[in-house]
Amino acid sequence: MITALPVFLPLAFMIFALLFRHYHGREYIAVAASGLNVLLSVFLVFKVHQTGMISVQMGDWPAPYGITLIADRFSALMVLVASIVFMAAMAYSVHSLDTRRKSFGFYMFSFGILMGVNGSFLAGDIFNLYVWFEVMLMASFILMSHGGDRNQLEGSIKYLILNLISSFLFVAGIGLLYGKLGTLNMADIAQKLMNFGTMPSELNPAFILIFVGFAIKGALVPFFFWLPASYHTPPPVVTALFAGLLTKVGIYSLIRFYTLFFHQNAEFWQPLVLLVAVLSMVIGVITATSQFEFRKVLSFHIISQVGYVVMGLGFFTVAGLAGAIFFLAHNMISKTNAFLVAGYVHKQKGTLDLKTLGDFYKQHPLWAVFFFISAFSLAGLPPLSGFIGKYLLIKAGIEAEYTIIALIALFVGFFTLFSMVKIWMEVFWKKTPENEEITIKKEQNEIPENVRWMTWASGAMALIIVLAGVFATPVVDYCTQAAQSLINPEEYINFVLKGQ
Amino acid sequence: MELVIAIFIGLLYACGVYLLLRRSIVKLILGVFVISNATNLIIFLSGGVTRSGVSFIGSEAEKASLETMTDPLPQALILTAIVIGLGIAAYILALKYKYFETTGTHDLDQLSKTDQK
Repeated sequence: MITALPVFLPLAFMIFALLFRHYHGREYIAVAASGLNVLLSVFLVFKVHQTGMISVQMGDWPAPYGITLIADRFSALMVLVASIVFMAAMAYSVHSLDTRRKSFGFYMFSFGILMGVNGSFLAGDIFNLYVWFEVMLMASFILMSHGGDRNQLEGSIKYLILNLISSFLFVAGIGLLYGKLGTLNMADIAQKLMNFGTMPSELNPAFILIFVGFAIKGALVPFFFWLPASYHTPPPVVTALFAGLLTKVGIYSLIRFYTLFFHQNAEFWQPLVLLVAVLSMVIGVITATSQFEFRKVLSFHIISQVGYVVMGLGFFTVAGLAGAIFFLAHNMISKTNAFLVAGYVHKQKGTLDLKTLGDFYKQHPLWAVFFFISAFSLAGLPPLSGFIGKYLLIKAGIEAEYTIIALIALFVGFFTLFSMVKIWMEVFWKKTPENEEITIKKEQNEIPENVRWMTWASGAMALIIVLAGVFATPVVDYCTQAAQSLINPEEYINFVLKGQ
Repeated sequence: MELVIAIFIGLLYACGVYLLLRRSIVKLILGVFVISNATNLIIFLSGGVTRSGVSFIGSEAEKASLETMTDPLPQALILTAIVIGLGIAAYILALKYKYFETTGTHDLDQLSKTDQK
């Protein structure tokens, strides 16, 4: 039953949230509920780590017919990291968001995102996965346009249309797949594909549609255009939440589908996935260097970093997958924290244009440290968590004899460092340009003056980044075990279909 | 019958893509609706289209036999997809209305205010 709770808790909160929309303590209730969710996820990881996998059949219908929710080590870790990111965003919002947005359901829709994300991580049925995607997307559409600024409306039209198209492609793929195989349960599909031996070519259209759907959701090249066009428009805390959760769900689903289905036709899929990964890494990082807006630089970096994860998946060795899982978890935390710092800069200065900012290190040294930790973790400097992730991935690449791809990944790391140093120099180090006058917009006055909760949230995330880098061994061991069960889908199939 | 529906789905996708490529936001939204319905038809078709009696209920004579009956699951799936599509349609129209109220334009090319010059 514990498997279904990460879905039910946010749902219960959403129903409850309708009651205290105008209540002044709503922020603290939301933080408390997200804290409960973290405790629940810790418990889930603990349970899964003992037994390897736990599952629940909704309504007690047996496996290929009913809807399965299943947590293995990989999905449990993702649920845990998502809950940490979510709690940080909730705590951060207490002092960073205006009262108007708070009283019009910000917390309710945020928990809608959490419900969709947790559901996608735990789904064991492809149509159910689509429904969770829609839950997540509906909530994210609303948060993206929430507040109704002109910029936000523009961003949300772009975001909405391209994400809807990805959903249609995904569900069309599901329809075609069901027409050919007559089942929706992921373990059952994988079992049927194994019985075929070689994958029949009629299934390719369905899998291509599903792959493109995930690639749009995960912002892989060449399907990434919605992301940098929309992520810099909503309030910073919303961007931080999206950056930590949404694209990562697309990548999670891609890893799940690749290991269960796509890899059974490896000679077609492996080169394709590696190509997409390399293109994402290179194009994402190069486009980021030309940007002059804090959040846009970080948005383009999401694309590059998602490429690293897909590269680890493309190697398809235990070491590669373990690196991909570690990197995914690290990226969710570091990226969110970088956006949280951007939000603080925005609150203090009212702008995120790199050219007009400056002197931030002198004025707010603590936040400069937070930015330093998360940005240089993204760039992969030891002893931060990003270094471990990149080290594992590049080592796995060399061991799997993809030396050139591993070298490209190293090279991309230098460019990442370059744009992080650029933000550091422009925002934190250089003197504020004299003739630029920064005016804080009027609507900002509704935001509380206090910054205590923001500091706590960002500081806790920075601490996690450092700790995950210094005490990486248990985490890496856990990721390796998760990768071992991903690379042998028989274990997953037997567990779902036969209950062992 | 399958072939006719398949061709029809293809036509709907073509119309949808054509509408998506127009400059007006209203036409873009209509294109999204058309593609959404074409996708629902794909799921419908995946269960097969056969002419037979009612599934599961009714007397033995009226009831379709297990061999000839159409798979009922895709129809349940479409119900879900249609409801999701309806919710999204309502939201997207509200968003369009708000956008028009704020900016007074239907033109997609005006959507570049937040881009870097």
